Amino acid sequence: MKAMGTENPGHPNFPVRPSATPFASAPPPVTPFSSSGPVASEGNSFRAALPAAPQGMTPYSSFGSAVGQDASGYRPSPPARFNDPSVSSVPTSFVPPTGASFQQFPTPQFPSTAQAPPARGPPVGQPPLQPPASQVPFRPQSSIPPVSMGSPPPSVNFPTGVYQSDSSFPGARPNFPPSFPSAGSSYPAARATLQQPMPGYATNQAAVPQASPVPSAFPTQPGSYMPLPTSLSPFSAQQGSYFPAPPAAALQSRDQMQHPGSIPPVGGIQSLMEDFSSLFLTSMPGSIEPGLDSMVLPRPLDGDVEPKSFVETFPLNCNPRYLRLTTTAIPNSQSLVSRWHLPLGAVVCPLAEAPEGEEVPVVNFASSGIVRCKRCRTYVNPYVTFTDAGRKWRCNLCSLLNDVPGDYYAHLDAAGQRIDLDERPELTKGSVEFVAPTEYMVRPPMPPLYFFLIDVSVSAVRSGMIEVVAQTIKSCLDQLPGFPRTQIGFITYDSTIHFYNMKSSLTQPQMMVVSDLDDIFVPLPDDLLVNLSESRTVVETFLDSLPSMFQDNLNIESAFGPSLKAAFMVMNQLGGKLLIFQNTLPSLGVGRLRLRGDDFRLYGTDKEHALRLPEDPFYKQMAADLTKYQIGVNIYAFSDKYTDIASLGTLAKYTGGQVYYYPSFQSAVHGEKLRHELARDLTRETAWEAVMRIRCGKGVRFTSYHGNFMLRSTDLLALPAVDCDKAYAVQLTLEETLLTTQTVYFQVALLYTASCGERRIRVHTLAAPVVSDLGEMYRQADTGAIVSLFSRLAIEKTLAHKLEDARNSVQQRIVKALREYRNLYAVQHRLGARMIYPDSLKFLPLYGLSLCKSIPLRGGYADAQLDERCAAGFTMMALPVKKLLKLLYPSLIRVDEYLLKPSSQVDFENIMKRLTLIGESLDSRGLYIYDDGFRFILWFGRMLSPDISRNLLGTDFAAELSKVILSEHDNEMSRRLMGILKKLRESDPSYYLLPCLVRQGEQPREGLLLLANLVEDPIGGTNGYLDWILQIHRQVQQIA
Amino acid sequence: MSLDLIFWIVCFVMGLGLVAFTFYQMLCLLDLEADFLNIYEAASQINSVVLPEFILQGVLCAIFLLTWHWFMFLVAAPVALYHVMLYVNGKHLVDVTEIFRNLNQYKKLRYYKLGAYMFLLIVVLTRLTLSAFHYVRNGDDLVHLF
Repeated sequence: MKAMGTENPGHPNFPVRPSATPFASAPPPVTPFSSSGPVASEGNSFRAALPAAPQGMTPYSSFGSAVGQDASGYRPSPPARFNDPSVSSVPTSFVPPTGASFQQFPTPQFPSTAQAPPARGPPVGQPPLQPPASQVPFRPQSSIPPVSMGSPPPSVNFPTGVYQSDSSFPGARPNFPPSFPSAGSSYPAARATLQQPMPGYATNQAAVPQASPVPSAFPTQPGSYMPLPTSLSPFSAQQGSYFPAPPAAALQSRDQMQHPGSIPPVGGIQSLMEDFSSLFLTSMPGSIEPGLDSMVLPRPLDGDVEPKSFVETFPLNCNPRYLRLTTTAIPNSQSLVSRWHLPLGAVVCPLAEAPEGEEVPVVNFASSGIVRCKRCRTYVNPYVTFTDAGRKWRCNLCSLLNDVPGDYYAHLDAAGQRIDLDERPELTKGSVEFVAPTEYMVRPPMPPLYFFLIDVSVSAVRSGMIEVVAQTIKSCLDQLPGFPRTQIGFITYDSTIHFYNMKSSLTQPQMMVVSDLDDIFVPLPDDLLVNLSESRTVVETFLDSLPSMFQDNLNIESAFGPSLKAAFMVMNQLGGKLLIFQNTLPSLGVGRLRLRGDDFRLYGTDKEHALRLPEDPFYKQMAADLTKYQIGVNIYAFSDKYTDIASLGTLAKYTGGQVYYYPSFQSAVHGEKLRHELARDLTRETAWEAVMRIRCGKGVRFTSYHGNFMLRSTDLLALPAVDCDKAYAVQLTLEETLLTTQTVYFQVALLYTASCGERRIRVHTLAAPVVSDLGEMYRQADTGAIVSLFSRLAIEKTLAHKLEDARNSVQQRIVKALREYRNLYAVQHRLGARMIYPDSLKFLPLYGLSLCKSIPLRGGYADAQLDERCAAGFTMMALPVKKLLKLLYPSLIRVDEYLLKPSSQVDFENIMKRLTLIGESLDSRGLYIYDDGFRFILWFGRMLSPDISRNLLGTDFAAELSKVILSEHDNEMSRRLMGILKKLRESDPSYYLLPCLVRQGEQPREGLLLLANLVEDPIGGTNGYLDWILQIHRQVQQIA
Repeated sequence: MSLDLIFWIVCFVMGLGLVAFTFYQMLCLLDLEADFLNIYEAASQINSVVLPEFILQGVLCAIFLLTWHWFMFLVAAPVALYHVMLYVNGKHLVDVTEIFRNLNQYKKLRYYKLGAYMFLLIVVLTRLTLSAFHYVRNGDDLVHLF
């Protein structure tokens, strides 16, 4: 964990309740939600003095489960009476009063479960008892020495407060809300453990009593207006005066507002804790200014933070890079779902690139066949349990008892685990790849196949695109996956279609021209598609001669549709990947498009969305046919004029491809970008003829899917060619009104042909706890996944509605969610004018704002070109979570100081400090890099030292920057800048970030490139971040 | 045979045809949902009968108008108008790429249409029975025929 400040979970409200605020002070009636449990039990929880950590722990975990299990009785073990949640008597052995044991409590039972699946038999209701001893080893945390925490925190009452409900006492609640059933309770607790190493804790503790002057995180902040919650208790007192709060609340510091670089809010520890984060949004008496400094608003300056604690609670789950749920606490009833207002679903990136050493293991069940559940077809995974001496296994999704195939049989050890567990990655890892036998093939695995459809009309020639493409393809020939089976073929077209015979026996490719566009035929049955290794020389000759072949071509027409059909006819035997390089508007034959252009009169009317839909049904039909024959299409569009990306992109959308858009392509400027991205497209690991299905446990169902693919049946995604840069979002619904299980399992299975010719199944399994508490759902929310789903839903909405409607729907959903959350706490807490939100969602409003300002959704006619809008829409529909968040909140870093410093003294990490995306961040003496994951924008301040410009730009330093191409010059500064850019690029190779230079005040370029993207600024009638927050807050309060 | 009777018989047959077309489309959609059909087959099967259905319905509607059967025309007209609207907007065919997303909408639409056609059919059947009854009762017509 790098910066404490940004890790949401738990750390700020670390549960310490000073003895000064005894529990009693919270009047019992204030405990609204919870059953009488909490109060009654409180006393009990105290009396148990608990010396030895491990001991204390064991009962704990069993308790956790017992509660959770409710009546299911699956663990009829020790504290049996706990099965009844409302019974408040706490066993004496149970609550550790010391901080140390407190810390341990959380250590979830889950890990142990995981380690010893058979022993516990997850939700199934198996009696086997888990030997307590076995838990200990799995808990490194338990070794933390007990640290005295001062007064025993009353918050130890958690087991009780527990049941049912979240923050039962105002402020009394420790942040790790143990509030509920088994898995759930262990989870949040775990996170607390993770976050706060004991020592730090103790320190804080020490600091607090004196209310010592905690260095304010925001020194500039005048005390006169409601400052940051992080601040000291004096402040809190002051707050008290504005918000007459109940005595208990008066002291609390809502420390949640974390700010990068701020010191972990120490002040918070002293006072009562709240379960949520909040912002003060009230004006001082007599002032118009909102009582809030925009600098204290939460910002994701550390990028996307995956919910770590969840991973550690369920170590057998697949890595979040493959599958992320929008909330890792699955609601148990439909009424809960309807109160959650945010999308309930997941984002799947089945082939995400794994860092070195974490590759997905490949398993080959050669003889026994792949072990799957008979009924629900679930693949064997770490959460299945073996019983009956290893002869049977119980499916974790449908709980059917299956026979273990003879070849797969292994004895169980005393703990009920298979003795061969260590040799079975499929039983220990959440992600695994099975080698599929022939039953999983409808035909022999296809070879990797690349087909190129290249526009050679005059504009393509002039832009230099053909040359770059030909060179790049040639340079990639060696790295195309699947040697020696790889197949390759080309068609070029202008007003006619040119086929190339590349038979290996030829020395020169033969060109055949077909000019009959109405009745397309393929002039040769074979040899248009050739094996690369056999015809290598012919292919190279062709690529060498391609640019010169058409250099004098003056044809302006483009027979795109017919040539697409021709390519389809050539490819449909095998399938593969079709790369289309299109430079003009398709003008001839079937599928020709009109210059329907970007009619500004349509904006704001009901016909507006039609502009973003394919004009001609040919494209949808063609896309469907292409998918049927396993052809994936990637569109490369280059024109500076309108090319109707909306129509062209449809081909990519339904075939699992993507759209690359290079407006006004000039090889001198954009060549490098195209070269890298095309090379990446050709050489990245690709899964061919794939289908993906997501299974989940009983009672839950995936209903809608969002992304670039085609649904082949209700839940089967057809993906002709899929790679690591594609992610898919899905939404869940509950089929039953009430889920009775404690855990829901999800399993993503991607069946595909690897480039090596093996048929494989990649399986990702994930377990998530079921909760009955809305607050917990909010706490476990994953902003990244939510924003990803939001953006896809919003973009889909723009295809049927006005842009404005799409933006409003985003805003409305955020408002509704926050309102619901507010209602949860409005009763016990005097919220006053505070805006409250769960810590997990602190960035949601900002991402929502920047989503509304993103290219596909922003403004109206004038704010983005139609093609650009559509291209960005197609791109965002496929982006993985991290990449999307980077695009929505790009990084802005200042580099001039680094460039000026003497060499090799500065730590690279140091300069990578991201700035807020607001106009004030830009200092006219500085040089800034803006990086949204797709391009760099280098902003030269007006008063930037001329030295820097001269060193970086060479002789061009005074020229207009739009024409200058950044290149390395022979001096330290330039090398360093290039070094930074290189480093930034390496962090994400999926797109090539091309630097655009812009000088301050150079309008309109500056506005278009940079200023429009400073999402926190109010630009052209849109909201700034602060206004947005205020607006949302107002709306939240309206009905609340 | 009386013209009236013949007219109603023809209408009845056409009505049956409409019900059959719609029912067939429903079946395809249900099969698709149950995974007995793949999207390509389902879409092409449904789309192959969409236009015949539209034309048949249009013709029926026109016949009612031309024969001054006002009530029957009013029963048939809304559906005909709806069809025209769909056709003009190019939305009459099932979209194979989005078929699953719109499945429920397609099904609902066809349920309603099926209902409307059934109603039409019942009315036609009543009129048919009535005119047949008249026809049989006025036995002299029979005699005249021979």
